[in-house]
Amino acid sequence: MEQRLGNTWRMTVNEKKFIESALESELRVDGRRPFDYRALTIKFGREDGSSEVQLGQTHIMSFVTSQLVQPYRDRPNEGTLSVFTEFSPMADPSFEAGRPSESAVELGRIIDRGLRESRAVDTESLCVVAGKWVWSIRIDLHILDNGGNLVDAANIAALAALLTFRRPECTLGGDDGQEVTLHPPEVREPLPLIVHHLPIAVTFAFIGDEHMVIDPTHHEEAVMGGRMSVTLNANGDVCAIQKAGGHGVMQSVVMQCLRIASVKAGDITSKIKTVVESYKTDRALRMVKRHAPINAVDVNESGGKAKQILEGQKLKSEECSVSQSDDMDVEQGRINKRTDKNRSFTGGPSSWDPYSEGVNTDELKATLASRGSVAVPMNLDNLGDTIRDETKSDEPLSDVNPVSSSTDSAGKEMATSKEKTLQDAVKPKNKRKKKKSSNTAAV
Amino acid sequence: MGSKPCFIDKLVVPGDVVLDLSSMTNQTIKLGGGLQQDHDAVTVVKAGILRFSKPSKYWIESSHKRYIPTVGDAVLGIVVDKRADSFYVDIKGPMMAFLPVLAFEGGNRRNIPKFEVGTLIYTRIVKANPGINPELSCMDASGKAAEFGPLKDGYMFESSTGLSRMLLSSPTCPVLEGLGKKLAFEIAVGLNGRVWVNAEHKSSIILAANAIMNSESLTPVQQKIMVERLLDRVN
Repeated sequence: MEQRLGNTWRMTVNEKKFIESALESELRVDGRRPFDYRALTIKFGREDGSSEVQLGQTHIMSFVTSQLVQPYRDRPNEGTLSVFTEFSPMADPSFEAGRPSESAVELGRIIDRGLRESRAVDTESLCVVAGKWVWSIRIDLHILDNGGNLVDAANIAALAALLTFRRPECTLGGDDGQEVTLHPPEVREPLPLIVHHLPIAVTFAFIGDEHMVIDPTHHEEAVMGGRMSVTLNANGDVCAIQKAGGHGVMQSVVMQCLRIASVKAGDITSKIKTVVESYKTDRALRMVKRHAPINAVDVNESGGKAKQILEGQKLKSEECSVSQSDDMDVEQGRINKRTDKNRSFTGGPSSWDPYSEGVNTDELKATLASRGSVAVPMNLDNLGDTIRDETKSDEPLSDVNPVSSSTDSAGKEMATSKEKTLQDAVKPKNKRKKKKSSNTAAV
Repeated sequence: MGSKPCFIDKLVVPGDVVLDLSSMTNQTIKLGGGLQQDHDAVTVVKAGILRFSKPSKYWIESSHKRYIPTVGDAVLGIVVDKRADSFYVDIKGPMMAFLPVLAFEGGNRRNIPKFEVGTLIYTRIVKANPGINPELSCMDASGKAAEFGPLKDGYMFESSTGLSRMLLSSPTCPVLEGLGKKLAFEIAVGLNGRVWVNAEHKSSIILAANAIMNSESLTPVQQKIMVERLLDRVN
């Protein structure tokens, strides 16, 4: 009894009376007007799919993770989306550790409903093999500090995390085309989720008989008679409404809430979008930095070295796919074998490059287009050679696309030519070697 | 002895040796919270500012969200429960405090005050022993009410213990001075990190409360500027 009394946050009669009476003159205790939103800050973690949202005092962290699972029977070609909430006793002494409280369940349900019912996340694109493998997206929400209006803050955190999340790319292979290969992020650029629109939750609190405030604080939540959460997107489409118990609300008031909420949803959507855009540019810049040393490494110098690196990669990919799913076939080894065979056919290493998969073809196209005219014809020659090579070999490749790989290597050479490092000293030799080998192959 | 003066009013961290007793043999000193004697050395056990009061008191001052009851402190408490002989009062401490029903000016069995749950009381700590619930009183040492008792209306907000100490310090802190020049308001500060503000107009209460809450991490000059800006915006 004593312990419980000590752990609960309590409010004085003075505060309750003051909050109610101040609203009569359209004032709120933190200096806002009834329809002002608190300051919103969105931050991202180092990894994709993590976000941190601060809405006034409220502080929420969100993580998105993915896993390959079997789909539900009734929806064999749709991925799944699930929301989990974690209320830490650190956020508010009234939260108990362990079993989720009623408010934790409600919070998860509101966010889940807003995303699912409005089909904000394209679940069909998460299907890998219909009826067998689909991606399951899991959103974890951690409440770090409860300053009121957890619903809105958690919803924004979930959206920000979903927009920045990337799942590993996977391809189908094998004799029946049913075996799944997972590509680690170093090998192939992970894919972002397809999010059609952003359902934004906006919460209203009803205090006293006729007062209504947006984005209630912790104190206002303790005084309010009822609450209504409206989930809608920037276009004004209502995705969900949550009005559980308490104060009765007039129809006209609901319509008024919807009008105000649609304005706020527009503001919040643009805020999320600008923050996500800047995160994406940062990420792209980081990628450039990350790939630079790899490009500079001498790839074609000796088969032994390349093989060694390849082995390491194979191991990594194996680990990755094992951690993703227990009983999944690892295809990477087979591809490697095949490319080895392919190399013996064509007689030149130029058609194959273990690092080419790590480079985004779109980016390369852009770099190709922007490059000078001197470099491109040479590369085209190179490209033509390889295509001829491939057509000669009677075993077609399923996974490694020769055209893209050769353009990749060509584009990368150009990319590295910009930076002057010690490794550049080795580059001309490579080029010569490469050209020579491809020429011999053509002859 | 040489190192002694340089620690006073400075930030100290756990492990700092602030006093060397071997060099001050015929003195009696009193150690307060946050200091520990280890043979001849007095070491710090919590981070904060070392304070010294003549003739011989040393203690560490720091800012917390939780309050450790100390005898003689004036605090703001919230009535949580009512028993036959005392009220249970929440003073943000590790335990509920007891406020005996007779600890009011002229209190006797006939006129027991009636406080509903949630009443805010300005009160004084008279007993604070570890492991026992602290005891409160609404009288000063001479048995007078002396401003102690329930607070009506107004608005109460929570702060850290450091902020409430700053508000009570003399000379008056720049926030209160700046606000006092333009606004008329009543304030009660509890050392347990609770502040109550009352004024005629609701807007004044909100302004004063927010100015005080914002001043926590500001220097005196910044506080002055902040208050001036706030007042300019309102008028």
